[in-house]
Amino acid sequence: MFRFDPYSPAIDADPFPYYRTLRDDYPCFWCEEAGMWVYSRYADIVTALNDWQIYSSAKGNLVDELPNRAGNTLGTTDPPRHDRLRALIQKAVTKRALEHLIAPTEAFCNKHLDTLAGEKVFDFVGDYSSKVTVDLLFHLFAMPEEGRDLVRDKAVLMVQTDPATRKKSPEHIAAYEWMADFAANLVAERKKNPGEDLLSNFITAEIDGEQLKDREIQLTVTTLIMAGIESLSGFMSVMGLNLADHADARRALALDPSLIPDAMEESLRFNTSAQRFRRCLTRDVEAHGQLMKAGDFVMLAYGAGNRDERQFENPDIFDIARKPRGHLGFGGGVHACLGTSIARMACKIAFEELLKRYPDFTRVQEHLPWVPSSNFRSPMRLDLAVG
Amino acid sequence: MPTVTYIEHDGTEHRVELPAGWTLMQGATLNGINGIEGECGGSCGCATCHVYVDESFLDKLDPPSETEAEMLECTSSPRQANSRLGCQIKAMPELDGIVVRLPETQS
Repeated sequence: MFRFDPYSPAIDADPFPYYRTLRDDYPCFWCEEAGMWVYSRYADIVTALNDWQIYSSAKGNLVDELPNRAGNTLGTTDPPRHDRLRALIQKAVTKRALEHLIAPTEAFCNKHLDTLAGEKVFDFVGDYSSKVTVDLLFHLFAMPEEGRDLVRDKAVLMVQTDPATRKKSPEHIAAYEWMADFAANLVAERKKNPGEDLLSNFITAEIDGEQLKDREIQLTVTTLIMAGIESLSGFMSVMGLNLADHADARRALALDPSLIPDAMEESLRFNTSAQRFRRCLTRDVEAHGQLMKAGDFVMLAYGAGNRDERQFENPDIFDIARKPRGHLGFGGGVHACLGTSIARMACKIAFEELLKRYPDFTRVQEHLPWVPSSNFRSPMRLDLAVG
Repeated sequence: MPTVTYIEHDGTEHRVELPAGWTLMQGATLNGINGIEGECGGSCGCATCHVYVDESFLDKLDPPSETEAEMLECTSSPRQANSRLGCQIKAMPELDGIVVRLPETQS
């Protein structure tokens, strides 16, 4: 009998054959390991993302939700409160509002590339993408200089799940709690000395004349740190992997960097690091002959929808000329990723700078160590041979 | 399924059927209509799905939310009285036949 175990290292490494079976034979699949239904076809996922009244996020959006998080972050709140919370941050992260980040991001990229001079092999994740994203986030939130590596380590741990127990391990929960404490301290400091930064604006904001709840601020900040570091680094790392694996595409980008944005969109479609999120049904729903009950969770497998041949022609081909509009690499609907503009800006610059120095690179490891996670998929280490 | 007509800036018309509840932004991106970008994915977080709604349908739409109104200030082509964001308009049966014109630029 077909099984789909989102905790299994085999799925971390290559979920795509399983996704095909899900889409073709079990489009509304009961996943015993996760205790929830799975949608894998593009159209079903889009319908669910559009219909937040039925597919609610208020009971959590991570496949394995962290304690006390549901209901207290942007991603785990439904409209109308969600829309008001999001409006507080949205304007600060539009493309035009981010132009001041371009020069600092270029500088972060070059600083870390400089340290690699003379190396024949480097770890794209540890030496580059994670370093750049941590620098950028600390800059964006005007966070204190010290503790960067520790914050990064905790962000990476908190998104993981244990393949044996099929849930978050005590170590993962502890990392989340550490991050929540870190955020609480940051918020307390910022309340005393608010600045002009994005965090200060959010912390001091009111909705309908009411201050935001402390826990709401704390856990939203926790999530922004996690996403700003781990998800952004994951996006870049997967793009780095795709360019290592597709030499023609990489050479085309090195020759003509104006192709980088289209290649990024294709990378987000081809194997986004945001593979699976969940929703909770607020009423009974029948889909593909299955009756799902109110209160059941549904996993939305973005990574599967992005490879759905009902939507994308030759979906298993990485084609940088595809322009895959409507891909699910950042989710979609009211909860589509808040950081899309930051992510696109940072990733574009990271590859412009990288390809200037290293138009050619190849993968060293045959098998990659993948982040063990029921939600996310990216390599923990990506050794690249250069020159 | 509700039908939506998109008229591109050069006059090209596209008449498409959308599943009820899908947005006009999705209808355009999924049918290869180039005049709409939808960069933020439908979260009302950019202004690259700007459309001019045919006057005869304006009354049938809910007024723009505060966020949409703010985003409409950021459109690349001029904002007009009938400017809306395509991601905020869901194709419902009562909007069957709606016509939207697409601006010259989105970003």
